[in-house]
Amino acid sequence: MTELTDVAESDLRGIRDLDIDDVLAYVHRDLKRLPGYTELYKRYLRQRWDVYELDFSQDVADWRERMTQEERDAFVGISAGFHHGERQVEVELPVFMLGGSEESKIYMSSQIEDEARHTVFFDRFYREVVGMPGDSVQDVLDASFEHVSETFVGPFGLLAYQADELRKDPEDPAARVRYGTTYFLWIEGVLALSVMKITLTYCRERGFLPGYYTGFTATCRDEARHVQFGMRFLRDSVQEDPRLLLQIHETLRTILAINGAASRRLALESLGWTPEEVRRLMIRQLHMKLTDVGIAIPPDIREMVSRIEPELAGG
Amino acid sequence: MRFFTPEWAEAARAAVDAGPEREGKLPTYWNWIDRARAGYTATWALGVRETGEYLLLTWKDGKCAEAEITSDPGAADYVLAAGETTWRELREGADPGRVVMYRQLRLERGDVLAFFRVIYFFVESLAALSRIRTT
Repeated sequence: MTELTDVAESDLRGIRDLDIDDVLAYVHRDLKRLPGYTELYKRYLRQRWDVYELDFSQDVADWRERMTQEERDAFVGISAGFHHGERQVEVELPVFMLGGSEESKIYMSSQIEDEARHTVFFDRFYREVVGMPGDSVQDVLDASFEHVSETFVGPFGLLAYQADELRKDPEDPAARVRYGTTYFLWIEGVLALSVMKITLTYCRERGFLPGYYTGFTATCRDEARHVQFGMRFLRDSVQEDPRLLLQIHETLRTILAINGAASRRLALESLGWTPEEVRRLMIRQLHMKLTDVGIAIPPDIREMVSRIEPELAGG
Repeated sequence: MRFFTPEWAEAARAAVDAGPEREGKLPTYWNWIDRARAGYTATWALGVRETGEYLLLTWKDGKCAEAEITSDPGAADYVLAAGETTWRELREGADPGRVVMYRQLRLERGDVLAFFRVIYFFVESLAALSRIRTT
């Protein structure tokens, strides 16, 4: 077990030695306290990393020579969602930055830069390791879209349409809370952290893909700031106007309603995860955010959460 | 058959009512679509931005009952529009899920959350009407 201060202070070289469980603990450590936006911005300045420093040479050898075809298929199937997802949030976040306090806007500029860097990370991984063709970022995105499942199409599509809704009035509190629920609570707080746990545990236990492990663990540490910002935003919004809790509920009802649709199966067992383990992981990630931040949910949503299907595994 | 004519509109109604071929996707996915569609009542207006014309599809109790081409989406519950390029790409086989995720078909009017509660039913309907052969 690493000290969480190591997680906070490691440079890119040190991040390679961190355990993903410690990074996930670091994500949640501050959820009860929820740092302010300026503190999160200062943390960003200390933790920013250079995506072009990553070395994927061992990853190429692992991908070609040590991983099975089934493992490669499952890995691409689960990570393709975030190849597109990082790009999606990079382009959908600026509209959210238009509203809120000046401190929020300054912090949000750092998150947009994070997301652009994460997009480059996946572009490098898919281009250099998986071997997807393309001269441009869009070319590689085009090549990987066929692997993106409904797990990601639905929530990221919803975010795109909510961004359009927010564009009409970036200060609309209800639209901001609906957008924030989809983005910070579900996409960042549940989907991203679940994908990180699944792929990074596989890499660590098998000793594969050190470049991916380093970059995506650094991405996970970035997510700590994103999730903490988002949970603070939702908590403060509801404290300021308790009626906004209903917007969180309605958004969660929609997300949970579409959560069960999966048109194909991903063999995540090859990465060491059973469908039931994935289901429990997602429920746990959601409960931790809701409980720590004090977002109460009514019985019908509790019932929907308990019925979360392990759709990451197509089950 | 020409795109966005009354004849095409009727073919679109029949195509979305029948749904796409159920091959290559998990049965549980189609079960989800069937549940979303059961009892579904709403009107979709799907427009071409450059011409200002809309395909109006009226769903009643899970059946696509009416279709027409109109320049006035009127009281449609969900008004969406895309450019001619997007419509052409769809007819040439573009993934309708990606068209939604990349917001190439914009929701100009309607409740976003309610629209998304049946999103894969909408995506598969878009797939079905995109496969109608046009000249």
